[in-house]
Amino acid sequence: MIKQYNENIKKLLAILSKILDIDENIITDETSPRNTETWDSFNALMIVSELENTFNIHFTMDEVTAVTCVGDIKEALKRHGIDMDSNKE
Amino acid sequence: MRPTSNKTLSSIISSQPIRGISDYFSINRKIERAIINNEILYDKSINIAILSSFTINGIKETLRVQCGEFGVLTNFYVGGYNQYAQEILEPQSGLYKFNPVLVIIFIDTRAITGDSFFLPYELSNDERQDWIEDKVNEIVSLAKVVSERSLAKVILHNFEVPAYSPLGLIESKQEIGFIESIEIINQNIREQFKRNNQVFIFDYNAFCSYVGKQNVIDYKMYYLADVRVNPQYIPHLCKAYTGYIRAIASLTKKCIVLDLDNILWGGVVGEDGIEGIALGPTPDGRPFLEFQKYLLSFFYRGVILAINSKNNPADVIEVLREHPYMLLRERHFAAMRINWDDKVANMKSLAKEINIGLDSLVFIDDEQVNREIMREFLPEVTVVDMPKDPALYARTLMELDIFHSINITEEDKHKGSMYEDDKKRRDLLQSTNDLTEYLRQLDITVLIEEANTRTIPRISQLTQKTNQFNMTTRRYTEQEITQFVNSNNCRVVSVQVSDKFGNNGLTGLAIIEKMDKRIWRIDTFLLSCRIIGRKVEDTLLAYIVDEAKKEGAELLHGEFIISKKNKPADDFYSKSGFTKIHHCGELEVWEYDLMNNYPFPDFIEVIIK
Repeated sequence: MIKQYNENIKKLLAILSKILDIDENIITDETSPRNTETWDSFNALMIVSELENTFNIHFTMDEVTAVTCVGDIKEALKRHGIDMDSNKE
Repeated sequence: MRPTSNKTLSSIISSQPIRGISDYFSINRKIERAIINNEILYDKSINIAILSSFTINGIKETLRVQCGEFGVLTNFYVGGYNQYAQEILEPQSGLYKFNPVLVIIFIDTRAITGDSFFLPYELSNDERQDWIEDKVNEIVSLAKVVSERSLAKVILHNFEVPAYSPLGLIESKQEIGFIESIEIINQNIREQFKRNNQVFIFDYNAFCSYVGKQNVIDYKMYYLADVRVNPQYIPHLCKAYTGYIRAIASLTKKCIVLDLDNILWGGVVGEDGIEGIALGPTPDGRPFLEFQKYLLSFFYRGVILAINSKNNPADVIEVLREHPYMLLRERHFAAMRINWDDKVANMKSLAKEINIGLDSLVFIDDEQVNREIMREFLPEVTVVDMPKDPALYARTLMELDIFHSINITEEDKHKGSMYEDDKKRRDLLQSTNDLTEYLRQLDITVLIEEANTRTIPRISQLTQKTNQFNMTTRRYTEQEITQFVNSNNCRVVSVQVSDKFGNNGLTGLAIIEKMDKRIWRIDTFLLSCRIIGRKVEDTLLAYIVDEAKKEGAELLHGEFIISKKNKPADDFYSKSGFTKIHHCGELEVWEYDLMNNYPFPDFIEVIIK
């Protein structure tokens, strides 16, 4: 099955790829600071800043500290009304 | 500090569009990799140290990319978290070992106020008075120590004036208010460095106001990691720093080349006529009127103006001479191309007439197609993306930070009128057929002076910028010139040239090394292109010959290194009676026997200071 990523997921992957210096194709919901060397506390904040700027939203401090992996980021974005469904045309 | 000629840097930067700070991060990494893999070749790079009172990540990544955009490679030293005082006060610190050319000191308001940021009125007025003095002394002495221990230029941030006071409306009724205390600190540190050529106050308070004080701090980032500048504004801050870096690398622009219709006035003069164009105190005319005011202020600060326009010359001249609201007149333009030729050819001939490089030109045109063609055919020219709405013209000009000079020399102050004088000289030359007669009529005076602290910045600037009449094209920093001046066996001599049309300022120099008792070697000999062909070179050489004889030298060695641009200098030594004695690679050594006399040109008045 060919995955049809929606625009929002593309934007998320682009941000993660640029900040964490990793290929978009290897990013999964399980990608996390534990398995990604470049995901340090500073880059984590850069990701937050770029997501807020790109999607025009604001996370709370609790939302930021609760994130442990890419899957969590998607959930947080969804709570802010950002569509994160993948298999869409 | 020549920009790198390697294409790799610019291709890395143009490989992805820059939308946010994450793009700076990823491009920066590509540049770092290319440097490690030796894919980017460069002569020199600029060492920049950043000292701050908080977590300052993101600046070096962004700044490296922004400097790369104008061909400058940068290395960074980022001081430890809140370690600025130790870095500055410890003579053996990493800061000084790094040998920076630029030091950015960014201490923020929260750092100097501490708990007083929230409880300022715990201090009595007297205590606050003392606190102000203490802080001013602390900040001023830190910046002074850096400037004494290194030759770096220092960018010293002033302090963001808080928009909040716990006293609210009665804040302004206090004897010395909290907000007022920060304003006083800012005033006092500015006052301390007004006459200092090394320390520059960066008006961070104005920067915060410009981007918005409520935006510049992101509280979440601040509480989570003590980040005190919202990452989204780091690119804006870095952009402000690039103004200094361009200036240090002598990459500032010199000349604005303007289109006319819908740039200096609204409408098309060829169709609408002088009465029909929009220019004056009306809603549609004011944007153009004020744009001209800004351009005039650039002219007065030394930026050259020129015209490149498709029009009938007679229509334009009528507007320039007769339009009541035209602020820019013929005399403000160093050169004009008003014709139906293509703008690229016009641009080249303008550069030739004004005698500056294409890379010193900035092109302003309202039509996108003209801008694209200019970018395509003359990539050296800076092309400004003018907004569609003339209401934004003045603002666009204000935000350009490509004309800054870090040393406002006397020459820079008078540059606008100097080019005007030059135009008068060219007119005289056209009316006089005999060159010697022309030179005689100019009443040239040459003032010769040994280099000193006042002239060293300009001397370094000339070695960095002069390409044509430059025998060796050796580029020297202020630091290196200072070393020559302080050395016992070197002489650094400058010339200032004036004539009946005006003063050209310090426009020529020579650096001489006394090899031994017998031989003096001319390491550097150059003249600014503006004064080529007026026998100033003969005057300077005659002075050197005289001085060498006085000290008992027997031979003068002049060096010549060929470059792409110094054709005007290549026969100077042979014409002046030197003999080529040595040729090794690109270096030629020419010898002059000091038994001979070298006369001063008889029509030049020489003053030796």
